[in-house]
Amino acid sequence: MNILRQIGIVSLINFRSIRLRLWRSLVIVVGMACVIGVLLSMLSLTDGMLAAYMKTGDPGRALVVSTGSQSEGNSSIARDKARLIMDAPGIAKAPDGSPLADPGINSGVPVYRLNGRQAYNTLRGFGPKGVMLRPEFHMVSGRMFRSGMRELIVGVSAKTQFKGMNVGDKVILPDGEWPIVGSYTTGDLLDGQLIGDTETVMKAIRRPAYNSVLVRLASPQSFPAFKGALTTNPALAVDAMLQTEWYKKISEGFSTFFTVVAYGIGIIMAVGALFGCFNTMYAAVAARGREIATLRAIGYSAFPVAISVLLEAAVLSVTGALIGAGIAWALYDGVVGSFGASVFKLTVSPALIGMALLWAVAVAVLGGLFPSIRAARRPVVEALRAT
Amino acid sequence: MRYLPLIWAAVMRKPTRAILTLLSVTVAFTLFGLMIGLNATFDMVAEKARADRIFTWPRFGGNGVPVAVARQVAAIPGVKAVTAMNFLPGYVQDPKNQVFVLMVDQNVASVFGDYGVSPEQWNMVLKDRTGIVMSRIQAQRWNKKIGDTFTMVSKQIKRADGKTGWDFKVLAIVDDIPQAGNGFIFGNYDYIDKAKPLADQGKVNEVDILADDPASSAAVAERIDRKFANSATPMQTITEKLARSGNDFGGLDIKKITRGVALAGMFMVLFLTGNGIAESVRERFAEFATLKTIGFSDRAVTIMVVLESALPCILGAALGVGIAAVLARQIPKLMPSGFGMPLPTMSPMVLVWAAASAFLVALLSAALPILRLRQMDIASALSGRT
Repeated sequence: MNILRQIGIVSLINFRSIRLRLWRSLVIVVGMACVIGVLLSMLSLTDGMLAAYMKTGDPGRALVVSTGSQSEGNSSIARDKARLIMDAPGIAKAPDGSPLADPGINSGVPVYRLNGRQAYNTLRGFGPKGVMLRPEFHMVSGRMFRSGMRELIVGVSAKTQFKGMNVGDKVILPDGEWPIVGSYTTGDLLDGQLIGDTETVMKAIRRPAYNSVLVRLASPQSFPAFKGALTTNPALAVDAMLQTEWYKKISEGFSTFFTVVAYGIGIIMAVGALFGCFNTMYAAVAARGREIATLRAIGYSAFPVAISVLLEAAVLSVTGALIGAGIAWALYDGVVGSFGASVFKLTVSPALIGMALLWAVAVAVLGGLFPSIRAARRPVVEALRAT
Repeated sequence: MRYLPLIWAAVMRKPTRAILTLLSVTVAFTLFGLMIGLNATFDMVAEKARADRIFTWPRFGGNGVPVAVARQVAAIPGVKAVTAMNFLPGYVQDPKNQVFVLMVDQNVASVFGDYGVSPEQWNMVLKDRTGIVMSRIQAQRWNKKIGDTFTMVSKQIKRADGKTGWDFKVLAIVDDIPQAGNGFIFGNYDYIDKAKPLADQGKVNEVDILADDPASSAAVAERIDRKFANSATPMQTITEKLARSGNDFGGLDIKKITRGVALAGMFMVLFLTGNGIAESVRERFAEFATLKTIGFSDRAVTIMVVLESALPCILGAALGVGIAAVLARQIPKLMPSGFGMPLPTMSPMVLVWAAASAFLVALLSAALPILRLRQMDIASALSGRT
């Protein structure tokens, strides 16, 4: 008899009898559901945050910061240096022939979370080219701030995390409050932030220098020339990065941290589930002792028997993982959350669910291996005699 | 206690099952210990936080505010002591190895007297410009002992001589404190100040205050905020009590998360132990019928089943929390160096919660089998008809 056919038949018999071991089988299902539910719930934060960071970056734009800066806020670019940067080659031109570049400001603004705790939100400055550089920017309600005026616009998601982030609210800045006159969306991290006129904001918070310069590249190929011109200019001490690279760089710290924590907890739980899986599969093999021995006696080989045990473990484990993933997805996918000043949507992506299924298979294989070997190795006569 | 041999025999009837159940429960309680231990740390930090200490820093970032701000703060009514510090952020060898040194002035002991650094140790640092005092977590991370040289690179702080390296001498190593989960390093304010270009000198990144009276510290904090609100250097002020209360981590509710994880772990083992005990009772149904026949009361049988169910739970809880205590100490080594993560502590409350959860899991697991045993028809059970 063909080995595949044998595997099919033995597995079929096996699955038909799972009903008899329902409660014990549920140990694996519930165990994996808990492991994957917890793991994916935690990773939904990192996943969503990374996705938002990556979306904010546009490979057609480059960001210039002072050498070694780990954040826009820590970077400082003096006005005369900003002019040098904007004169560099490789920058796209606006319709009026001027370089499509915008020196910007980036500052924390003390705010309160909806739960009353102190936090910071990000206040960004847009200069004359701020909107032209960002085709993803659209006003949603109210109006744009006027240049030179002490007024702000707010991203559509800010109000889901922080107090006082609606059109008509006022934000405390030095020398008096600034009204919020409109709301906007960009579909990325900026949706959680505040924007004002760069020069006016700088005057208010007493900043003599810009934080960074954002430029639209003439073409993807023009980046090396742009970067080269900046790094070889002895008057400048700056780093130039594609905006996508920049967001990748600044997200590394927190994403490593959260990933380590989530996987640490996930692995501990998976070890617990693994022992449960072991336990269940040993019991299942014991319960099927007679059946297995009979099959062996009528000519089935040991391999299909072992495979059927592994398959049972895998099906139960994957079922559990899918339930856990489903719970995490239902609870967190698409929920707007925040960490620090970043506001973003939590996501339970297909990639995460795929990873969860791999975990499930790994637990099943590890947990089912020894029981399956025992099932296959047990002497037929002894098993037939056993009660 | 006279049931003990019976219970032991029941547990060891299937040693594989017993051991696997124990391991599973142990793992779940390891997680439980780490999670609830983290909550315990947050509670302890909140409790240890001083109501009379106040922090104030520039509301809108920048390179710091003139040191005169500290003197103005000192003149505010209700302020007892003031110290100012500069921050020296950087890395050791590789930008991945983030490090942060607090450069303190001569008044540090009057505000941070409770940080486990003795007056003599503060004095050593204040007298030696390149001297530092490290907490054990940091000393271990950079593999330093007293007398060693500690070298770091800072790209953020501009030196007058254009260099980026900073050399320190380790003068003292002290115990860690719960409110600084990532440990701490204190250096000398004069070192960083005099190394900067003239235009950057005389600035401070943070001013720390001790109030006359803990009860009025919130009012003092408000006074500081108001004094600087419309100045060139608006300040952001918070009392240590408020800053450390609750369990906010960048807006995440840590307690909610840790409790959820601990609960999921408990649910996972509840299913396992529940099944184990149900199976064990089912296999020995006839034996229980015999026990009842020879005069064991329902109560005695109930106690036996509960104890059999409780044995792996209690043992697993004890082992698990023990492992968690050991693991907790390894966490600083596993984390990226820049992250200050509070370490779980196995406080008495954690032990109480672990014991209570273990008993609850044992009781819930045993509930259904006990019900079946109470309702059993002895005659049919003895004949093996159920």
